[in-house]
Amino acid sequence: MSEAVAIESQDVLAFVDQFALAVDFQNPVPVHGDTRLTDLPEWDSLAALGVIVMCDTEFGVAITGNDLKECRTVADIYARVLAKKGG
Amino acid sequence: MAAITLNNVRLRGIVSCVPKATICNLDASEERRPERERLVRNIGIHTRRLCYPWQFFSDLARSAAERLLEAVDWKREEIDALVVVTQSPDYPIPATAIIIQDRMKLPTTTIAFDINLGCSGYPFGIFTLGSMLSSGGIRKALLLVGDRCASIDDPIFSDCGTATALEYDPDAPPMAFDMNSDGSGHRAIILPVGGHREPTQMHHLIARKDENGDLHRDVDLIMDGTAVLNFSTQRIPPALRDLCEYAKVPMTSIDYFVLHQANRMINETIRKKLQLAPEKVPSTLYDFGNTSSASIPLTMSVRLRDALTTRAATVLMSGFGIGLSWGSCIVRMDSVVMPELVEV
Repeated sequence: MSEAVAIESQDVLAFVDQFALAVDFQNPVPVHGDTRLTDLPEWDSLAALGVIVMCDTEFGVAITGNDLKECRTVADIYARVLAKKGG
Repeated sequence: MAAITLNNVRLRGIVSCVPKATICNLDASEERRPERERLVRNIGIHTRRLCYPWQFFSDLARSAAERLLEAVDWKREEIDALVVVTQSPDYPIPATAIIIQDRMKLPTTTIAFDINLGCSGYPFGIFTLGSMLSSGGIRKALLLVGDRCASIDDPIFSDCGTATALEYDPDAPPMAFDMNSDGSGHRAIILPVGGHREPTQMHHLIARKDENGDLHRDVDLIMDGTAVLNFSTQRIPPALRDLCEYAKVPMTSIDYFVLHQANRMINETIRKKLQLAPEKVPSTLYDFGNTSSASIPLTMSVRLRDALTTRAATVLMSGFGIGLSWGSCIVRMDSVVMPELVEV
């Protein structure tokens, strides 16, 4: 995995919490860094919008719809955020 | 276009008109209720207005215009220009403005034409008519703006028609504008079928399930939600800062920021990025949804009526969307004539 991030790191855990808030699940769902996006019950267009807004307001990074399509897990999104922030 | 200033133009009055028919985004079967609640919470749209099958944008706009003429006490023969900004014309051709000129019994000396813009359209309409008025060549003009864009299934769009009275006035404070276009994003919001490049054929009318499981036909609007979100939240905050700098009006001295009402996620992100207090950024999303180009005048009609009719205020308006296109203006408003919302 090219965008590997240590899934146990504190930063990823914090990101996972922000991710879960942004998706706004109808019922609580366990989410981890290595959770596959397609396994989530509500990984829909509304969730994508929420995650893009969160990345923008919390990290000042513009994640696009295409970025999200290329991400497989929650940690992949975080790696993308870090890459864009660094770049 | 670089920022530009127009002198001698006064925004005299605004009337907004919505259909009486109301639709609630929470109306759903019991099992779909949590899903709808999540939707309403995030897009911030609870109630929308929907035209009856026999009601069209031109009817809403005309009702608004008739009420406005009465309120500002203009005679029909004084109207030099009537510009319509809509993407819901009565017919593909001729222009709806010319049809309304006849229905309102305005003189044949009235200049009438349409502008094809959506959510960004209101500042563009003011700019176009303002440019015509600024020289004093014409003296009184009507700007009719809005769309019939609501449907039962789509949770975002809502119907509204508005009328704005603009006049030549050498004592009017200057209006500052910033207008932009980026056609590379023209597919972000598009009705891809029905024009010359892709005429409507039988197969375009067959509905298929889209990725969300909703039925979609090729003759329906397509919107790339993430692209529109990225465009709005990346482009608008710096554009508004630049306009304030150009106009030499500090952001802190703007009384109200009236933004196009897109959805809560977009509008709140823009507001937070500019660090604006919620009371300075009025919203009609919850009650009226996204009314396309009408959302700026509608928000002023229903949220700022007291503020704008009784005293002077500096208002920054910003429209953004289909095109892609974005335009903003700073207008010093003083004792604007704003009758109550018209419901028909």
